[in-house]
Amino acid sequence: MSSRQSARASRLTEDEINHLIFKLHASLQHHSNSTCNKKRSAAKILKRTCNYIKKLQREVDDLSDQLSQRFASGDINAADADIITRLLQL
Amino acid sequence: MSSLSQNPKKTLSFSSTMKNPNYNPLKKRLASRFLKAMGRLKCKMSPFPATIEEKRRRHRAVRGAAYASMASAVGPRRAWSRALLRKMKGRKRARRNPRNVDERFGLNLNQLCDVVPGGEGMDSRSLLNETAHYIKCLVAQVQIMREILHSSSSSSTTL
Repeated sequence: MSSRQSARASRLTEDEINHLIFKLHASLQHHSNSTCNKKRSAAKILKRTCNYIKKLQREVDDLSDQLSQRFASGDINAADADIITRLLQL
Repeated sequence: MSSLSQNPKKTLSFSSTMKNPNYNPLKKRLASRFLKAMGRLKCKMSPFPATIEEKRRRHRAVRGAAYASMASAVGPRRAWSRALLRKMKGRKRARRNPRNVDERFGLNLNQLCDVVPGGEGMDSRSLLNETAHYIKCLVAQVQIMREILHSSSSSSTTL
């Protein structure tokens, strides 16, 4: 496949962009309590998406910290994890 | 150290969480892989980290396990998970595609490809698709970690 051909094939139409952005917007709305404002610009939605991902990554980091401290205090041990995992295979 | 024979409530609280309808197949896969990874980590770790460096190492290990279990649960089906798996195996990055940045929102797409794993190699359409799926998995992972913390803390206070 020539590069020119693939460039043409992946050139987004305006409709496609709107559809994809709308999908992102929907997954953002699901997790925020703001009222739905259909007129948000695509650029704003992209910016909110970036910030949302960064926020989620910070949360993973923070929860990892808390979990690792729990390990230290012995609340979770290997036996528990094994048993929970076995119970999950229902 | 507490063991399950003495604290049956601990297992029951998390496993009953798993049984509720909010736990879709993806989330179950994520949860079981993450718990397995945590179990393996526990065997390696010393019970009480003496130094700050050990604490940091432990924190990094748990965080690494979180992303690793996300990537392996999704497998090679998604570009972002492939990129994470490549990173974990220490392989070189995939061949970079010429960025097909749409001038309409060129700037923000650049920011987006910084946060999504493997973003630099994607065209605009793939990047937007991958982002939506990546968000979904991140959200599920965060929920799982919160629930593990919650179930272990609630049972320890009922001792």
